[in-house]
Amino acid sequence: MAKVQIPDEKASFPFSMIEGMMPLYPLIAVMGWGFVLVSLLIGIFGLSPAVTTFFSDAKAVREAAAAGSAIVNANVTAHVLESWVPQFKFLGLGLGLLAIIMALGVIAKRLRGMGWVITGHIREDLRPKMPSIPRRVRYFQLSTLMGLMILIAALIIGIVLAVTVVPDYWSHSIANELNPAQPGSALLQQLETVSSFAKWLNPLRVTGMAFLFTAITIALTVIIGTLRNQAELLIGFYNRATSG
Amino acid sequence: MATLQGPSKSWQLKVYPIFTVLGWVLIGLSLIIGIFVLTPTAISYWAGNAKAARDAAEVGSALLGQLSTLAATPRWLEPLTFLGVASFMMGIALEFSAIPNMLKNRGQVLSICFPQIVQNPAE
Repeated sequence: MAKVQIPDEKASFPFSMIEGMMPLYPLIAVMGWGFVLVSLLIGIFGLSPAVTTFFSDAKAVREAAAAGSAIVNANVTAHVLESWVPQFKFLGLGLGLLAIIMALGVIAKRLRGMGWVITGHIREDLRPKMPSIPRRVRYFQLSTLMGLMILIAALIIGIVLAVTVVPDYWSHSIANELNPAQPGSALLQQLETVSSFAKWLNPLRVTGMAFLFTAITIALTVIIGTLRNQAELLIGFYNRATSG
Repeated sequence: MATLQGPSKSWQLKVYPIFTVLGWVLIGLSLIIGIFVLTPTAISYWAGNAKAARDAAEVGSALLGQLSTLAATPRWLEPLTFLGVASFMMGIALEFSAIPNMLKNRGQVLSICFPQIVQNPAE
């Protein structure tokens, strides 16, 4: 039996990069799971002890604690972790979704390969013409890139906040420095950032997830479309072969 | 001669886009409320007033209104966002549920076509 040559359908950049990554989906899934596990470990061994230390004394003592004291440092640690760990965790979830998208991409590619193999075994005059790669493939790849970039950007923003304004603000005595701060002061300007970033960053990272979900949806339409096309091509071949 | 039919368009494939669009609407809405309502309110409440002024806010004052917005809105906005996520997942599940029938049809078509492929091989 003749061996069928499957054509090498190379995509242009940046799609070639995504297609190159597609077979790595088990590794990406493990990496995403690892990110979420690390978030759990940080919660258990970092955030939880910091919060416990902070609440280990009476309110008046906690709030009067001076900068540099154990209580203030614990408060700083808790707020610093809370500014980047949730973004890290969502990136882990995003990597899990990315692995699903990559696996669906591999399935779609294999289905196409199967189509080439079957049509390759059919006599040339009866052979159905293979349709070109659907445009939707590029859309799901673009949606994947967009989602991933948003999640990475959210993590970068979280890290930047965690090393700049968040520790700067919280490393003060609550009662003696933070509470008396007046409008226009540097401390209240920092409080503005510290108290408002989560209001837009949280929905932004969910928007990143939405792009990844959209990519899964489109990838599935590619698989469904391929199955439908292949059945129709075979039916066309059968009708031609039996009418002659 | 056998009559071959392609896969019929299942109801799941007609319904799933509604859930995908709903997912975008709900998540988009939460992003818009986050950026244009909650963030400016938080900035105005926290940065524009000293703690003493915030604590002394009277009933019916703008400050108390802002605090109420900041405390109450996330209580329903977060579930709304997750309803958006659930809508995406619903759409994806519906798409997946259409695949087994398509594979079944594809198998039937291929098994009927197979003898013809063998009789008309490539050279």
